[in-house]
Amino acid sequence: MNYSKNKNAPLTYRKNRLEVSRLKNVYARNSWVLVSTFVALLLLLPVFPFMKGWMAAQGALILIYVIAAQGQAVLTGYTGLVSMGHGGFLAIGAYTSALLTHHFGVDLVVGIIAGAIVTGMFGCLLALVFLRLSGAFMAVGTLGFAFFIGTIVNNIPLFQGRTGISLPANRVFGIEIADYGFYYVSVVLLSMVLLFMYSLTRSGVGRALMALRDAENAAQSSGVNRWSFRTIGFTVSASITGIAGVLSAHYVNYVSSEVYADIWYSADILMASVIGGSAMLMGPLIGGTFVVMVPFFLERMADFSYIFKGVALILVLWIAPLGLAELIGRPFAKRRARKLAELRNGER
Amino acid sequence: MKHLACQNITVRFGGVTACKGISLGIEEGKVSGLIGANGAGKTTLFNVLTRFQEYESGNVYFRGDPIDDKKPHDMASVGVVRTFQNINLFKGQTTLNNILIGAHRKLGNPLANLLSFPSARRNERSLVKRAIEIAELFGLETYLDTAVGNLPYGSQKRVELARALASDPEIVLLDEPVAGCNDEETNDLKESIKKLNRELGITFFLVEHDMSMIMDSCDYIYAINFGENLAEGTPAQIQKNPEVIKAYLGEE
Repeated sequence: MNYSKNKNAPLTYRKNRLEVSRLKNVYARNSWVLVSTFVALLLLLPVFPFMKGWMAAQGALILIYVIAAQGQAVLTGYTGLVSMGHGGFLAIGAYTSALLTHHFGVDLVVGIIAGAIVTGMFGCLLALVFLRLSGAFMAVGTLGFAFFIGTIVNNIPLFQGRTGISLPANRVFGIEIADYGFYYVSVVLLSMVLLFMYSLTRSGVGRALMALRDAENAAQSSGVNRWSFRTIGFTVSASITGIAGVLSAHYVNYVSSEVYADIWYSADILMASVIGGSAMLMGPLIGGTFVVMVPFFLERMADFSYIFKGVALILVLWIAPLGLAELIGRPFAKRRARKLAELRNGER
Repeated sequence: MKHLACQNITVRFGGVTACKGISLGIEEGKVSGLIGANGAGKTTLFNVLTRFQEYESGNVYFRGDPIDDKKPHDMASVGVVRTFQNINLFKGQTTLNNILIGAHRKLGNPLANLLSFPSARRNERSLVKRAIEIAELFGLETYLDTAVGNLPYGSQKRVELARALASDPEIVLLDEPVAGCNDEETNDLKESIKKLNRELGITFFLVEHDMSMIMDSCDYIYAINFGENLAEGTPAQIQKNPEVIKAYLGEE
């Protein structure tokens, strides 16, 4: 039946069948216009003269955290499983690409793909182990995973521990790139991740993950296999954070366990995801920016940045538990709901 | 051969025996019911039939085949769906999404779905179309894009049933479907069940306290008491059964 031609069908889905799919999600909200604007801004930012030096220093770092936070969001926001060990995935991605680049001189693109795949496999493995644990136990377990990875990279000779591995200049499709090139590569990658997240929330898999998060029994009775789909959640989440890990290694062309064994990165990624809003597309964008900019703005007091971030986390969980993005988006959501109601009433 | 049946089910929770050797069979294409006092073991038995509950001894059969090793999420692909007492919807999601999740068993390859292959996209379009049809069946088309948490209780009940129907089930088990409903909502649900049973041939099984609803809707009723079978028969037979009258119906 062609719903576009059915005159009695309400406006919301008569006009455009795509309208229905766009409105499908209320809490895994898309702000694709907002996000596209944000991405466009990111692309144009280096053009501004006062941005130049800053861009080289902080720009890509923000993008790395945003991508990592998006990975965290897949697991924590959309699947509803708390992970405190995403720093481990960051490390896996970083070292996978580092070893490939250092020993075989591969392209950055190869490094990214390899990092995503290997980290994804670890995510799958982790799921098999940790899905048997519930709630808080899983959270602590994942934290243990982060420590585990940290210890591995610190002690196994292959990873060169604190001495670290230095990486050759970044090459994308054979072309050597420097700071700006790397920045744009990161923007492209972020765009791809955002596109993927956008389609994920609209897909059957995304629906299944959110169903497991919202009402596990109801999801199961509808046929959602909680083991399979939560494993998918873990794998995708790990993969995305792994990509961020690859970027973090090539950002400074150096990996060392001094960085990757530090579990504070897990905390940073979790905070970025939760403060920004883990169930929204825009959330990790805000959260990632926040987490990077706090030490930047605190300047000489940068050592206190974790106090600041910790307080921010508590405040967010208290006042706006769905994240800053949700808080900021509330008036827009209200307006949208009102418009829908008007459309509906107008039809009667 | 019964559509869905259980034989000699015993369920123990620590020292308490919730079910003691209960057997019942749900006839295909009919509306069957289960009555019993609070604590008689109805919910436990219901969960056993839908595989949400493990049991010490006994068997569960679907069309004669044992399904004891099935997990709760396997039941939808077998053709058995259930609703929940006090509704169990995905509160933050839209009505459309809730119904779509009900159709999860038709998702196909998760990888294809994840990577947005053309086949997955076609599948998605047909699923959405079907979900809209089901919503229209229940008069929910104006609520498609509203979060279900904001809907009135009666509509939420309908969404729950619509979601159950989305998976194209052979048999639908309803756990106290009219709990908390007023007369109008109860009638609506009664009519919906009758219509679906007659037009689509779906087998129904209700666990209910509302006597008038059970007696009106069901073709066959099982009564249990203190975890054991008490009686079975048509509504007329049950109403006249002295055991049932003594244990449950009282004056009626």
